[in-house]
Amino acid sequence: MNALTASAAIASGRVQLANVRQRSLVTAKVRALWVLLLFVFATLTALVRIAQLGLFEDAPERRSMAEALLPPRGEITDRNGVVLARAFPSYSLWYNPKALGEGGSPLVKTPEEVAKALLAIFPDADYADLVARLKSDRPSYLRKRVLPEEANRVFALGEPALEFPRENQRYYPQGSLAAHVLGYVDEAGEGHVGMEQVLQQRLLDPAQRGQPFALSIDARAQGALEDELGRGMMESNAKGAAGIVLDVDTGEVVALASLPSFNPNRSDRAFNDLVFNRVTNQVYELGSVMKPVTVASALDAGVIGDMAVRYPAGPLHVGRFTIHDSHNFGASLNVPEALIHSSNIVTAQVADKLGGPALRSTMMALGMNERPTIELPARGFPIWPKGDWARLTTMTVSYGHGMAVSPLHLASAYAALVNGGVYRPATLFKVAPDKVPEGRRVFKAATSARLRQLLRMIVVDGTGKKADAPGFRVGGKTGSAEKPGTGGYRRTSLIATFAAAFPMDKPRYVVIAMLDEPQGTQATSFQRTAAWNAAPVVGRVVPRIGPLLGVVPDATRDVDISDLSPLVGNGDGE
Amino acid sequence: MIVTAHRMRSIGWLALLAICAALVMVLAFRVNALRSQVRHAELKIVALRQEKMYLETEFETRANQQQLKAWNDVEFGYVAPTAGQYLENERQLAALSKPAEPDAPEPIRVASADDAVVAQAAFPAMVSPLSGKPLGAGADEDEPAPAKVDHARAAASLGARLARVDHGDEAPVTPRIRQLVAKDDEAGDAPAKKPAKDKSAKDGPAKDGAAKDKPVDKRAAKPSAKVASATKPEGAKKTASAAAAAKKPVAVASKKPAAAVAKKPAATVAKKEVKKAK
Repeated sequence: MNALTASAAIASGRVQLANVRQRSLVTAKVRALWVLLLFVFATLTALVRIAQLGLFEDAPERRSMAEALLPPRGEITDRNGVVLARAFPSYSLWYNPKALGEGGSPLVKTPEEVAKALLAIFPDADYADLVARLKSDRPSYLRKRVLPEEANRVFALGEPALEFPRENQRYYPQGSLAAHVLGYVDEAGEGHVGMEQVLQQRLLDPAQRGQPFALSIDARAQGALEDELGRGMMESNAKGAAGIVLDVDTGEVVALASLPSFNPNRSDRAFNDLVFNRVTNQVYELGSVMKPVTVASALDAGVIGDMAVRYPAGPLHVGRFTIHDSHNFGASLNVPEALIHSSNIVTAQVADKLGGPALRSTMMALGMNERPTIELPARGFPIWPKGDWARLTTMTVSYGHGMAVSPLHLASAYAALVNGGVYRPATLFKVAPDKVPEGRRVFKAATSARLRQLLRMIVVDGTGKKADAPGFRVGGKTGSAEKPGTGGYRRTSLIATFAAAFPMDKPRYVVIAMLDEPQGTQATSFQRTAAWNAAPVVGRVVPRIGPLLGVVPDATRDVDISDLSPLVGNGDGE
Repeated sequence: MIVTAHRMRSIGWLALLAICAALVMVLAFRVNALRSQVRHAELKIVALRQEKMYLETEFETRANQQQLKAWNDVEFGYVAPTAGQYLENERQLAALSKPAEPDAPEPIRVASADDAVVAQAAFPAMVSPLSGKPLGAGADEDEPAPAKVDHARAAASLGARLARVDHGDEAPVTPRIRQLVAKDDEAGDAPAKKPAKDKSAKDGPAKDGAAKDKPVDKRAAKPSAKVASATKPEGAKKTASAAAAAKKPVAVASKKPAAAVAKKPAATVAKKEVKKAK
């Protein structure tokens, strides 16, 4: 029994051992399986990763290169590819008081010493302001747009708290050139005033911003126009000046200047009175420069059949109002003489014969009753006589009073006057030769041809002599309008305008120069009128821009005025 | 120890696997190395483009319109070319030569003129500064003067001469154009002096031209006028042939001296003032 018990015990121990062995084996196998699974998983992961790297590695890298070269804001260029505005990563001077850790002085030297050292590098900086900023424990910009050499000198001061983050800013290499066309970009990256505002979406669009955007501006012509207008403004002591060069066949604005100008590179200081655009936003009673439009309208309507017909030139009484001329030009004048001497009286009579509705429809066809057509956001609304025009309104509008338009209106109207009679809206976008807008016909081609003769005669014999750039066949009209003030017009505050086109035998460009309140100075022979200040500006601008714009001066060519020249004597007018 | 075939096969497979893995690894390393090279190259391209953009921007800033204008006012004094400095076509260029007068030397000969004679008559070889003789002396002396051309012989050899393609035609013409332009620049006095010069030039155009070899210089008004009148008979034809090619250089060449002459005094005065101030 005992033995049986013992054997049974032995037997059961064996069974138990066998069980233990079997269980251990199963455990080992399960573990091995786990390890195998782990390995399989690792291999699969590695394979997937290899496949991923092998198949898709390239694409993100290439995009990153393109991205690195993609400017954060697109470039703006002139019509020849000269960069006018570009995104430019420049250094800023940033004060970070926490650079040396919490507690203790953020600067190695005293704030006063550092401020003095900075003043030596940036002489125009404000010492008190610098000290105040360096003493405060808040981080702030000490300066923006620091030149690399300046940054090196600041670095040499050995102050870790002065940092130079590189920031993308808008940079205008040409400085204040075409500032009113371009506008500026503020700290937040928003465009203002000019094309920066108009093209905001286009310049930020990742698909398009890689390509520079070409404007119709020609930087060289723009430079010449601004330069000569600035000179004219200084010589005549004027408050401001405006100028525009317009392609008569496409409506492209080749140059547009409003002086005094502003520097778009200093966007923090850019928003001031100077951003006001005198060419598109301000409306003026432009005076006698409107007379050719009246004459063209009358020619078109057949009112002026014979150029030799003479009109009485004595003071014209209309109701209680009397129309005067600046001088007495004799008992009578014909139409060419009226333009050459700039006679209000004869122009008013022509307009009276033409009638209000006809003149009004011509002015409307030239867009004088709406804001000027251009892309710029700042466009002034003309002062336009409401309703049907009374007889007196028609007469005053005929010589440029009682209706105020912007110089851009005038430029577009002159383009239509000389280009064969087709009005095209002005644009700041470069127009491809096959995409020139058709425009709308305002004058007959014959009228336009006649006007070219008349405008040329004004420069050859009349008030525009000082605009006669030799060889460029300039034609144009002066206008010196008194500014309206309280209780009538102010005799000493003038708007002097010269509206011209060249070359008159085949007009290519309209040039307008306008001076705001010019004074009589020695340089202008103590005269305030356009013949002495605005006309010389055109006379100097045209020879500078003509060859650049493809107009070759030629003294042997001119528009034929032989049929009209016997009709006029010589003299001077307003 | 006996190795079974089965075991051999597994070892073979393992070896193959190891080799393949090694190869794949090597390839992967190569690929990655190349890829990183490409990335570096790309980074370098980006950096260089940025650098180019900085430099371009700096250049544009330093050479902006206002800056150029300031420099021109003080230093250069360039002015826009005037109408007189443009030539529109061959006719205008030809019109610059002297108009035909009653006692003009000779009419323009068209077909029978020997170009070689013409060229050497107008522009003889360089004169040696030592001997005073022309450097190409032999050839020059042997050539007959244009007035003495034997027309009978010339007519006989016409066929041969027409058959010869002469490419050297254009070269000697260029100085002639310069002279014309110089003449135009000095327009004020040149015409007045012409009749007197013309008489002397008429007897021996070739010799006169030979004596005045140097005056290709633009400023030397009188000699150039002389040479121009001496070469008159042949000139017009040549001018026409060279005009198209020379059209632009004329405008450019004539622009600079005019500007320099006009503005130089002012510029020098300005410089002197600056020096004084220092």
